[in-house]
Order: sequence, then structure tokens, then C-alpha cells
Amino acid sequence: MNSPAYQLSGLVHQYGPKTALLLDELNIDRGSIVGLAGPNGSGKSTLLRILALLERPTQGRVVFLGQEADFESARQRREVTLLLQDPYLLKRTVLENVAYGLRVRGDTNGLEKRVEEALEWVGLVPGDFMGRSHGALSGGEAQRVALAARLILRPRVLLLDEPTASVDTSSARLIREAALRARRERGCTLVVASHDQTWLEEVADQTFHLHAGRVAGAGPINLIRGPWQEQENGSALRELDPDNRIVSPGFIKQNSTAMLDPGEVSLHSRPPQNSPGFNLLFGKIISLNLTDHGSLVRAGISVAGLVFTACLDLEAFSRLGLNPGDPVWLTFEAQALKWL
Amino acid sequence: MSGSLEYILSGFEKAVDLLIHLEPETFSAVLATVQASSMSMLASLALGLPLGFVLGQTEFPGRRTVRTIVDTLLAFPTVVIGLLVYTFISHRGPLGGLELLFTLKGIAIGQTLLALPIVVALTAAAVEGQDPRLKTTLLTLGADLRQSARSTLWEARFAVLAAALTAYGRVVSEVGISMMVGGNIKWHTRTITTAITLETGKGEFGMGIALGVVLMVLAAIVNLGLAFLKKRSES
Repeated sequence: MNSPAYQLSGLVHQYGPKTALLLDELNIDRGSIVGLAGPNGSGKSTLLRILALLERPTQGRVVFLGQEADFESARQRREVTLLLQDPYLLKRTVLENVAYGLRVRGDTNGLEKRVEEALEWVGLVPGDFMGRSHGALSGGEAQRVALAARLILRPRVLLLDEPTASVDTSSARLIREAALRARRERGCTLVVASHDQTWLEEVADQTFHLHAGRVAGAGPINLIRGPWQEQENGSALRELDPDNRIVSPGFIKQNSTAMLDPGEVSLHSRPPQNSPGFNLLFGKIISLNLTDHGSLVRAGISVAGLVFTACLDLEAFSRLGLNPGDPVWLTFEAQALKWL
Repeated sequence: MSGSLEYILSGFEKAVDLLIHLEPETFSAVLATVQASSMSMLASLALGLPLGFVLGQTEFPGRRTVRTIVDTLLAFPTVVIGLLVYTFISHRGPLGGLELLFTLKGIAIGQTLLALPIVVALTAAAVEGQDPRLKTTLLTLGADLRQSARSTLWEARFAVLAAALTAYGRVVSEVGISMMVGGNIKWHTRTITTAITLETGKGEFGMGIALGVVLMVLAAIVNLGLAFLKKRSES
């Protein structure tokens, strides 16, 4: 009986009159790595606070490890922990910061040895750091101490909110490695909110893209924001430049956002014939990444300053013979655009 | 001119003599002050720290009103507190049976009422002034609400200690409560401030100055402590 780590349904969360999160359904499997992507203010941090059982949603149901979530007591909250983008360290030594969670649990057997191990996990030499004051650390070291303070708790779920956004590259690498090791060696479920889409796609079993508090889709997603113009036939037009025009059926609002699944985008190394009902754009390959354990290629294409993502299988991509910097034509059905 | 100066200087001379020779009446007043203020500080901290934490960190209906009331009580005149306590613990009052009138415990109750708003208001401000990430950090590391409150107060320890010292400074220097509730009974409820009032009235400047020096030393220690804590909390 291995229930998912989380089962969320009918979730609504509001800050005053503003709806910050609106999720019909979201399940997160135990031991999986789930990525949360999306722009600032898209609801990632709100979702993480709910998953951390820190904030009760205004409406909806949260089932955590097979049990109805309890947002009041510390009992369930002790199975999950959240690392903030900008960590707060207690005004104590590194040793006391890392040991805090175990102390509040009354679990202090071999405390110092466990703190040493946790610090080693995040690449900090215990002898150099244990006695240091909270104020005598660089930003990257502070973030790693904060991660060690969470890893020592052996949480069932580790939530990371932009864990590498404000640290140096070496700290970022060590933080990623330690988080992945917790999943590999302890079966810890990881939920990572990050702008680092490449990393998310490399490691995540599933990535949810949030936009204005809603899940816009799983996996990478193209978001095409307005201004849209209403056409005489009722369709909507987004003109990126005179040569690149996107048509979507049905105009909603000038500043609406349409989403496009990267799997719906076809790439061509030579200009294709434009078929009715299809959009044709011209751009340049700016990035190529292998995803889904090497079976898919994710291409980033710049079209009049807007970056599109296309996903296609490795074999089909190889036939195109495209490299970064090459010109490329994109086609997708107008019907493939969905309004958010 | 020289006569009046001599008069003050002889008061200082007598004060030094009283302090050096540990004059019993002088030290009885110092002891009464220390006893009453210790009791009142213990009580006001025991009540004020949790109340200040709740006021500073939790949201509840009427919080703003409570905050305004507490802030208003900061300026509560000591004679009014003395009058209130007196009416409650006098023989005809509702707590008359406890026989607290003209006792150090009675003074301590009045001083607790004096110190409590200071401890509550300054603790609430100290807690409110903490980094908003602190609460999230404590909860996500597994602290329950009580542990989180304790750790928050510990994080704000310098500001909380400053609150305690501010309250202590007010308690040891008040005269209205000690005079009305304590009755200024020699060897019993005569505190430093009531003794100074009495001795000055009698023209006994020596003892008045001696006790004044003790009070000034206490005030200086409190102020130095506050300055030190302010520096620590700012860093």
C-alpha cells in the first residue's frame, strides 16, 4: 500500500481577494523528483508552502503520505521540510543550526556525529564549520548549512524553493548533488521549484509548469503572451514581427496567454509548404538538450526574440541534422494553441 | 553660598560613611527594593513574554485594539496603579483577606502591573521585528508552536532582555506604588525611593544621598546594559 506522497484535489488558495493557486488535481509519487517551473508570482512558492504543511489552502483537499493533511500539529510536518531560496540561519553556531531540528524532536543520540555527516553531504568540512557563527558564512555556505539542517532530519519529502538561485556555481552543484543523493540513497521525494529548466528536465520525473496559479501543463510548455489582435473572422493574431505571425482560433482578450505543447511543434531544416490551419514561424536554434533519459531532444528556438521549445524524438531530430545557430522553420496547428 | 555648599557636601560625606559602614537602615531599604523588584520582574516576565509573543506574532480579532491598550498602559501613572492595588488589597477590598496591604508582596503586585505593559509591548515589538523567514524556518525544521515561540524569543533575546531592563529601570525608580501600597514602614516595606522621600522631608540629606547613589548606580548599570544590548541586537 504505497500511496502517493501527495494527492491534491480542488485546491484553491487566496491571499485576500487574489487567487494565488487553483489546482484541480495534482499527484506526486513517493520517491519521485518533481519540478515546478513558471515565472515569478506563478504560485510555485505558495504550492510549496502548502506541500510543506505550513499554510492551509483556502479550499480543497490535501492528502499527505496517505493521510489527510494536518496543518496544525508538528507530527506530519516533521516528515517534510522546505529549503528557502534565501535561507534563514538561527543566530547560533553552524552546529546548533544543523542540530536544531533533531533537538526539537528530542532525538539527540550521537548528535555531533550526525551533524558532521550532514555537513559532509553538502561539501562542508565539519572541523572548519561546526563552530562557526551563523554570520561568518558566505551565501553559498549558508545555503548549504540550511540544506544540511534539513538532510539531517531524513525527511520523507524535501521541498526546494529555488535552491541554487542565489549561490555560486560550486555551491549550486553541491546542493544539487546532495538533494539527488537523498533521493537515491534514502528514497526521499524531491519537489524542486526552479528557473533552471535544463536541470529540471535532466533530473525530474515530471515537471509542472505553473502560470497565474494554475498548472499550465506537465513538461516544458510554451507560453505566448499578448498583445493579441482580434481578426475579422473572430480569430486572434499575435504578430511577433511582419514575417512571424501566430493565429489562434477564438479571440479572448488582448492580454491573454496561449499555451503550446512543445510536442505539437514540428521542426524543418528547409522552408515547408504552409498548410491552411497551420502556423509557420522562422527562427534560429539556440539550444539543444537531451531529456527523458536520452530519448527526446528539447530544442530552444529563438523567433523574433521569443524563445520556443520543441520536443521531438532523437531519431526524428537526427534526420534533420540541425545544430545550434542553424536557421529552422517551426510549424504547429492553430488548434494546438490553448488559452489559459 | 559657602554655607549651602557645605551643607550638601556634608550630606555626601555622610552618604559615603553610611555606605562604607553598611548602615543597617540604609541596607534594609536596599534589600526591600531588591526583594520587591525581583518578585515583580519575575512575575511580569513570566506573564509578559508569552503575551508579548502572542501579540507580536499571531493574528486575532481585536489585535490592533489590544496593542493600543498596551501602548496606552505604558504611560500608566504609578500613583493610579498604587490606588488601584490599594483598593483591591485593602481590608475592605475584594482581595483584602489575603492581607497583602503594607507588605513587599503587595508592592510587587503593583510593580508587576507597572512592568507588565512594558514587557508585553517591547516583546511584541521585538518579535514583530524578527525576519519573516524565521517562523517558516522553525516550523519547517519541525518545531511545534511552543518550541517555535521559545526559539523566536531566543532569536530576539537581546531585544527581549532590553525590554526586561527597561521594565526593571521603571520598577526600581517608582515611588507611588511603594508609598501607597507598602506604606513606607521602616525595616519592612521602606524601599530606596520611599526612604529618600522621607529622609529628605526630615532634612536627613546624608541617608537620602546615600540611597540616591545606590539608585543611580542601579540606573547606570541598567543603561549600560541597554546600550550594550542595543549594539548586540543591531549587529
